[in-house]
Order: sequence, then structure tokens, then C-alpha cells
Amino acid sequence: MRVQKPSLAEGIFRIVEPDLRLFVFSTVPHHTAEDVLQEVLKAVATGMSKFAGGTTGEFWAWCYRIARNKLNDQYRRQAADRMQPVPPEELWQLIDASAQDAPISPQDKLDLEYAMGLLTASKPECYEFLWKHFVFGLAYAEIAEELKLKYDAVRMKIGRCLAEAQSLMA
Amino acid sequence: MPNQHTDAEAKLQKLGQRLRAGFAKQHPAQNLEAVRGAVREQYEQEQKAKREKTITPPVPKKEREREEPDQER
Repeated sequence: MRVQKPSLAEGIFRIVEPDLRLFVFSTVPHHTAEDVLQEVLKAVATGMSKFAGGTTGEFWAWCYRIARNKLNDQYRRQAADRMQPVPPEELWQLIDASAQDAPISPQDKLDLEYAMGLLTASKPECYEFLWKHFVFGLAYAEIAEELKLKYDAVRMKIGRCLAEAQSLMA
Repeated sequence: MPNQHTDAEAKLQKLGQRLRAGFAKQHPAQNLEAVRGAVREQYEQEQKAKREKTITPPVPKKEREREEPDQER
């Protein structure tokens, strides 16, 4: 069965939009973020025929590449000085909002507290790497591409940052 | 140590999922009509191009050859 493009686009928005929303809104001021997000979604939906990958990971990498390009095109300066740590109370507000659809079990709460501790304990240069990898969900290759680093350098950096944060939490 | 590492990674991934979901909940999509419109427009253009490709008869070779002397004049 051949899927019609408009309905395919609806599916893409449902799956892609929520994750890209956080990515875009964390990078540019909120008053401009909605427009940028629309541009990103348009580019994803209309560029689907050019997507050459075959896995979920490749698809996400492709989506984030489009988002990064759009952000860099339009908001290069703002994009350069992003990544201000988000205060823990704001993070908890987001977690509480997520609980409306998926309640948080006591074990989940402990896990989330621990993870939040790791993030807040990490040094600024580590925070950016951990945030990109775990919160945005970017793969090592995507971070490497964005920061113009080697894949292994990113992988090792994230490993070191994680170990360091864990030792600070111990 | 490797297990501790994996455990911490799993917890951070869980946090990431929660934050993305929470953010989408707090900031729901305002209006995706412009995006839908762009997709619809592109789709219609593609469909139109396909139809035109199948409907437009190819220009007969002889006719093209006959036109050439006129263009030179």
C-alpha cells in the first residue's frame, strides 16, 4: 500500500515534532523559536524523498541535521552561545508536566533525581555534552558533526564526563 | 564500574525522555497549518508534474525538423 504524502507528514509531525521542539526552543529565544521550528518541520516533511537512510537512528540524525542547519542559517550568533544550564526547578516542572501522560513511579522518581544530580554536578563543559547526548538524544556522531570533533573524542568525553559526575555524586 | 556506568546512562536517558515529553506538553504545537500547507503544495505540484508528463504527447520528430529552418530565418 502506498502512503499518501500528506498523511505521512502527519505521522512525521506526531513523532518528530515533540523532540525537535525542545531542541529548537533550547537553542533560540522562545519568541522566534516557533517560526524556526515550523521551518525545520517543513524542511523535514518536504525533504523526505531525499532521505537516504534506513534506520531510526539515521532518520533522527537527518532530522537533527536539518534542525541544526536551519538554526545556524538564521540564528548563528545566538546558536553559538547557547547551553546555559537549566535550573533544576525548571527541569522538575517539565518532569511534572510529563507525568500528566505517564505517571512517575517511586522508582522512576529516584532514578530521575539521580540523573538530575548527575547533570547539575557536572562541570559546564561536561553539562553541554551530557545534555546534548541524553536530553536532546543526539548520537555521538551527530555531536561530533555539530562540534567538529572526532567521533571517538565525543564518545570518550561523554564517558569521562559521566564518570566524573558519578564520582561527585558518590 | 561498567554496570554503574550503564545504570547512570539509563537514568539519564529516562530523564531526557521525561524532559522532552514535558516540554512538548508545556509548549504544545501552536499551529502546524503552515507546515501542512507547504507539504500539501509540494505534493500537489509533484502530482501535477506527473500528470503532465503522462498527458503531454511527445513532439513528433518530423515536426521538430520542419521547425528548424524557420528558427534560422
